[in-house]
Amino acid sequence: MTNNSKEKQFTNHLTENVKMIVDILQQSVDFVKREMVFHEQKQIKTALFYIDGLASIQHVEKVIEAIMYEGNELIIRNDIEEDSLLKLLDKHVLMNSSFAAITELDKGINAILSGDSILIVDGCSKAFHIQTKGWDTRSVDEPQTEQVVRGPRDGFTENIRTNTALVRRRIRDPELRIEAMNIGARTKTDINIAYIKDTVKKGLVEEVKKRLERIDIDGILESGYIEELITDVPFSPFTTIMNTERPDKVASALLEGRVAIFVDNTPFVLVVPTYFWQFLQASDDYYMGYMAGSFFRMVRYAAFIISLTLTSIYVMLVSFHQEMIPTPLALTIASGREIVPFPVLLEALLMELTFELMREAGLRMPKPVGQAVSIVGSLVIGQAAVQAGIVSPFMVIIVAVTGISSFVIPNYSASYSIRLIRFPLLIASGLLGLLGFSVMFALLAIHALSIRSFGESYMAPATPFQPTDQKDSLVRFPWWAMKKRPDLADGDQQKLGENQKPSPPDPLAKKQMKSKNENSDISSRKKEEENGKGSSAAANSQAKGKQQAEAINKKETAQTSSSFSNKDEGKLDTLFPVNQPEEQISVIEEGVEKDNAAMEKQQLFLQKTRNITSASGVKRWKKKRKKGKNGEG
Amino acid sequence: MEEKTKKRKKWGGVAMRKKAVLLSCILILLLPLAGCVGKKEISDLAIVMAVGIDEGKEAGSVKVSVQVARPADARGQTGAPAGQSGEAIWNVEAEGESIFEAIRKLSSISTRRIFWAHNFIIVINEQVAKEGIGGIIDFFSRNQELRMRTKVVITPDSASEIVSTATGLEIIPGEAMDKLFRYSAISSVSAQSDMMELLAAYLSPSSEPLLARVILQKMKVDSEKAEAGASLKQIELAGAGVFKDDKLVGILKPEEMRGVIAFRDKLDSGALIATCPSNPNKNTTVELDAPSFRVEPTYHNQEIRFKATLDVDVSVVEAGCSFAINNKEQVKTLQNSVEDTLRKQIMTTVNKVQKDYQADVFELGKVFQNKYPYEWKKYKNNWSEIFSTTNIDVVVHSEVVSGELLFKPTESGKKEKSKE
Repeated sequence: MTNNSKEKQFTNHLTENVKMIVDILQQSVDFVKREMVFHEQKQIKTALFYIDGLASIQHVEKVIEAIMYEGNELIIRNDIEEDSLLKLLDKHVLMNSSFAAITELDKGINAILSGDSILIVDGCSKAFHIQTKGWDTRSVDEPQTEQVVRGPRDGFTENIRTNTALVRRRIRDPELRIEAMNIGARTKTDINIAYIKDTVKKGLVEEVKKRLERIDIDGILESGYIEELITDVPFSPFTTIMNTERPDKVASALLEGRVAIFVDNTPFVLVVPTYFWQFLQASDDYYMGYMAGSFFRMVRYAAFIISLTLTSIYVMLVSFHQEMIPTPLALTIASGREIVPFPVLLEALLMELTFELMREAGLRMPKPVGQAVSIVGSLVIGQAAVQAGIVSPFMVIIVAVTGISSFVIPNYSASYSIRLIRFPLLIASGLLGLLGFSVMFALLAIHALSIRSFGESYMAPATPFQPTDQKDSLVRFPWWAMKKRPDLADGDQQKLGENQKPSPPDPLAKKQMKSKNENSDISSRKKEEENGKGSSAAANSQAKGKQQAEAINKKETAQTSSSFSNKDEGKLDTLFPVNQPEEQISVIEEGVEKDNAAMEKQQLFLQKTRNITSASGVKRWKKKRKKGKNGEG
Repeated sequence: MEEKTKKRKKWGGVAMRKKAVLLSCILILLLPLAGCVGKKEISDLAIVMAVGIDEGKEAGSVKVSVQVARPADARGQTGAPAGQSGEAIWNVEAEGESIFEAIRKLSSISTRRIFWAHNFIIVINEQVAKEGIGGIIDFFSRNQELRMRTKVVITPDSASEIVSTATGLEIIPGEAMDKLFRYSAISSVSAQSDMMELLAAYLSPSSEPLLARVILQKMKVDSEKAEAGASLKQIELAGAGVFKDDKLVGILKPEEMRGVIAFRDKLDSGALIATCPSNPNKNTTVELDAPSFRVEPTYHNQEIRFKATLDVDVSVVEAGCSFAINNKEQVKTLQNSVEDTLRKQIMTTVNKVQKDYQADVFELGKVFQNKYPYEWKKYKNNWSEIFSTTNIDVVVHSEVVSGELLFKPTESGKKEKSKE
């Protein structure tokens, strides 16, 4: 990784430049050099370099066309004369959407290797870096690892620009910033860091950038490399960085004040900082209604606990604490274990390993075969093992339930880490019973509690307990109730406007408004009564009242929006007097005052009668009061 | 002399790291050294379902008989065959100078470790009970495996036979015996007595233990030899045994149990046969619903009296004569008859326990202590004498509430015709 070429710059002579580039890139069958002649009269030699496969042929051919034909024609016909060749090419010849002039050789080499083209012109000391990227990529498709029932089905692809575009489509805030970096000495992979400026905590973006810049590796092939290189806890089984294939997940994370890291050539985007409970939340929770979402979230929490502890608890109870099992169940378990030659721990480990084997094999097999084998395999192997007397039927059930529960965890990499944690727990509970289980569980819990993920506690919002964040942890509160951003965001804290709870229109307010309208428009009503019949007049007035109400609303909104011309203003004033909105408000205020007065009276009454315990007592009190009042009065 | 300004690093260097790695390796290797201490495989356990205690052949020895479940037969097997022989239980007995020794002897017979934690019931022979069950109470309370909710019963028959009999509908007889007590409040023929209550009564300064009683009766009809009638013995609930300290002093018959249950446990619905109001030769069976029983102590002039009130709702379940529920006189007569019968029943029990046995199984001492704790201090030392002389009044109120589904009397329609 020597930097000799960093100092080198392009010279005025074409042959020298060409020699420099060809020296570095040498002979590759996909490295193409195209020499052209520009400007019929002056016969300026040019050379175009690109990598076949990385550069889109259309763009390259556009350049060639511009140089050899179109540009020429333009100049000749319009008689354009520019003093510098550079300016000529820059302003009148090249027809691509984006290009730049560069001076360093190093940048030129990088450009060629990224898929862009370099155009060298004899007599020009700068080379043109033309955007010609275009290669075959996978189209935007449903993400394989995170599927939802309800929600968008586009997933990230391997092209970083497509990925950032997918997120930009969802967040049209000008505060969304995307910054670029290159990591990897030989791969020079593009890394984009995205964040929304006024929601991120101070120092988070700087910390992310610092950690990324610290990476000194020859190649980044996947975001997993970066994950391991910037994680807070390199030795922990817990993942502190979330990776996702879904753009809506990234968008919602950005709205919460997190930072997203896009890596070229992989559809998995990293999101930091992470809470542990995020791995148990699926996008489905947010798009389905809040009751269904909360229910399924609780199912997922239960599944998480089951997948972590069920086998260990079974082994522990059956090996050490048989008195804790209810008697009929104990007899059932004992009957199953009569012929099994292994102790429970060994049986459990055997079954768990077999299950992992089957799962891994199902992954590697080609799709059509894989599905059949995994289902049939697990059933048949389980049954056959029981018949052969190697395992007890109870153990097969336990392992199957544990396995199924571990698939409920939405995030694939999190489910791996949880599966890993299961094994030490199992061995500890098989060696020392409840003591082993509790000690190992305490160890894991203490470890999990001590982790931080980019400054945020890993187990928040459970501990340290943040009351404002609880609206999205165990259950999901409806959207009209989640007013603030989570605690990890800084700056703009308010997410929701006022009074967002939906409700049908209030008939009382409408009636008051209607009656007010009718009363105020007495003159027009009188006219109608004179003209038409009673019922039709009533219907008309009702309709008119509604119309008036609508018009008032329209007028109000029209007033707030500025699409209101002065011509119309006067007209509406005559039809609907301007002071109506205030009167309408006064009616509502009156109503509110009445309510308040009634409430006060009620409270006073309650206070005075607080010692009376029966209805007849209240009656007597009332009578007495009346008598007293009449006596006084 | 140059001062050493550069501090030597305390925790650094290759040697230090090697030592750390070595230490952590040793610690990790230490972990499996514990092995599986305290592990008992469930297939190495002989799960005891019922225990019986008899007198041994020699004087002063005990015979312990044990009912062990065979899981493969008790539950069936879906997998490989497990050596099913068809018998759900395996019964063995052993003798020894003390219970502990007898149990140790059992382990010389049993191929698996005797495991007491799932024991349902302890059966004690009446002969052993008459000599004192203090030792039994002590053993079973000390044992950490035994559950305190295990039932304890006495029997006039051999406990070994009771423990080995296949009885009831359950697969395991021990479980069947335990479930016999589930509905004992309805039949009102036996009290519930478990180890915890027994221990509490034994340790209490005033109350005396009361243990349920079971007997063997030929009640089961062999379906293959139906003509022989009831030929197989089954276990039946039959009253209770009254203890004084730890010795059995008397038996209460099933008919007398209602009074005891009223004082100790909660009465459930019971049945009573009263004479018909319209026809004294015929009987009416009534069901006593929603009984509520209260005992109140009174203390006047250094005299302790107890007043017990029983309120029941009566529903007529079987009328051998014509009984109409809207006939107020008939209802009143029936009510009086029920009240009398009940009162007599309870008073018989009360008198028997008070005068004959002089053992406070009604927990009246506790009732008195709750209301008059300071006065209790004077009497607690000779409570049994005081108990045998106190006045216990029993008052019964009943109210005919329903005739179940029938409102009018079930009479032959032809009678009415002939009347007309």
